[in-house]
Amino acid sequence: MKGLFFLLGMFLLVSCAAMPAIHEPSSERAGKSITCPSPFLLEKTRLIHAIEVRMAGKPKTALIGVTLADPVSRMFSCAMMSTEGMVLFEASSGPDGVKVLRALPPFDTNVFASNMMDDIELIFLTPVGVLTRKGVFAEGERVCRRHKEQGGWVDVLAGRDGRIQVRRYSEFGVLQRTVNLEGNAQNAYAVIELQAIDFVNYTLIMTLIESEVVRDIPPVKR
Amino acid sequence: MTWFPYMKKAGMVLFVLLILPAVNVQADDFARLRKDSVRISTISANFVQKKFMKILSKPLVSEGKFYFAAPDSIRWEYSKPLKSVVISDKGRTKRYIASGGKMVEDETGGAQVMKLVLGDVAGWMNGRFDSNPSFTAVLKEGPSTLITLTPVDKRMAGIVEKIEITISRKDASVKSVRIVESATAETRIDFLNAVINKGINPSVFQDVE
Repeated sequence: MKGLFFLLGMFLLVSCAAMPAIHEPSSERAGKSITCPSPFLLEKTRLIHAIEVRMAGKPKTALIGVTLADPVSRMFSCAMMSTEGMVLFEASSGPDGVKVLRALPPFDTNVFASNMMDDIELIFLTPVGVLTRKGVFAEGERVCRRHKEQGGWVDVLAGRDGRIQVRRYSEFGVLQRTVNLEGNAQNAYAVIELQAIDFVNYTLIMTLIESEVVRDIPPVKR
Repeated sequence: MTWFPYMKKAGMVLFVLLILPAVNVQADDFARLRKDSVRISTISANFVQKKFMKILSKPLVSEGKFYFAAPDSIRWEYSKPLKSVVISDKGRTKRYIASGGKMVEDETGGAQVMKLVLGDVAGWMNGRFDSNPSFTAVLKEGPSTLITLTPVDKRMAGIVEKIEITISRKDASVKSVRIVESATAETRIDFLNAVINKGINPSVFQDVE
């Protein structure tokens, strides 16, 4: 049994080695505690983005995306439609898992739905999991690293200019997603760049069309 | 989100939704519409598109301009909230999206889908509403002429329930198109300030800018 734990420990050590190393803050920052960057939604919010899809650096097509996310319950819904208004995909995610409301071929696969919901969670909701390390990267970015319960790692880092980046790695430390939030202090989600390293690499540039905080109205008692 | 490579297939569904013309149910009325539409050689109009969905608190409004020249030249241009242009002329169709301040060609095969879509839209502009067996067409006269297209194929249930096209009785032009996808989702396109039979520069159907 000890051998198994040793092997597992070595395995995790090697896995993490593929991710950038996190260092202790430099002497100028010594003594100051590292605050984890947190650009994520604080209230239930509806966001509508124009989405430009790029492959190999070239724009390929454009879509409209709607996201309704509640950071408290961690429930969210999303829809993706063409400029012409055709809804290609609509789904919600909550405690019972992912529920696909509408998915036209070829968006009607479980893998697509799962990936899409994972990406939305990565972009908009505070990552869950055990905070395993916080410090700085070699370039000076402030970073917090979490290990997700279901496997995989998430880094949330803030550059010296305040820009936020979120990275998702596989359990083995392979970079899968990078999210750059190019927004401002008022709205971190004004411009989102998601880079996906997948079977087909692609980039989504999401430009905010509108957003609103959603306040649920409690039912009136009669 | 590994969905992008599949845009072409999704486009085919869009084609099925919007293109397939209607069964000839009321032959005389449809024949009259075709006859009236012959008088239309060009149309230019603004349009407002409203998307209704449960996830939206209010409709998502898109705006743009529509140009048609008989028999089948179309420019379908969205200016808000997302700029895009589809041009169909002399059998060639191209779709453009805005990127980095300029219009670039959509390379996902969406243009070929839109070619099919616009082919049918051109058919509507020419008064041909009843030439496809995949939809049942019903025509109802009122202040405007209302044509309801209902898919015959039950597999379309959940994708589109019906398409309603409102035709002006005055000049036989299309006033609005309503695509009902489900009980909680629909798209309505209203054509405004339509100008009929006024010359349109051919470059409108050739140049994207």
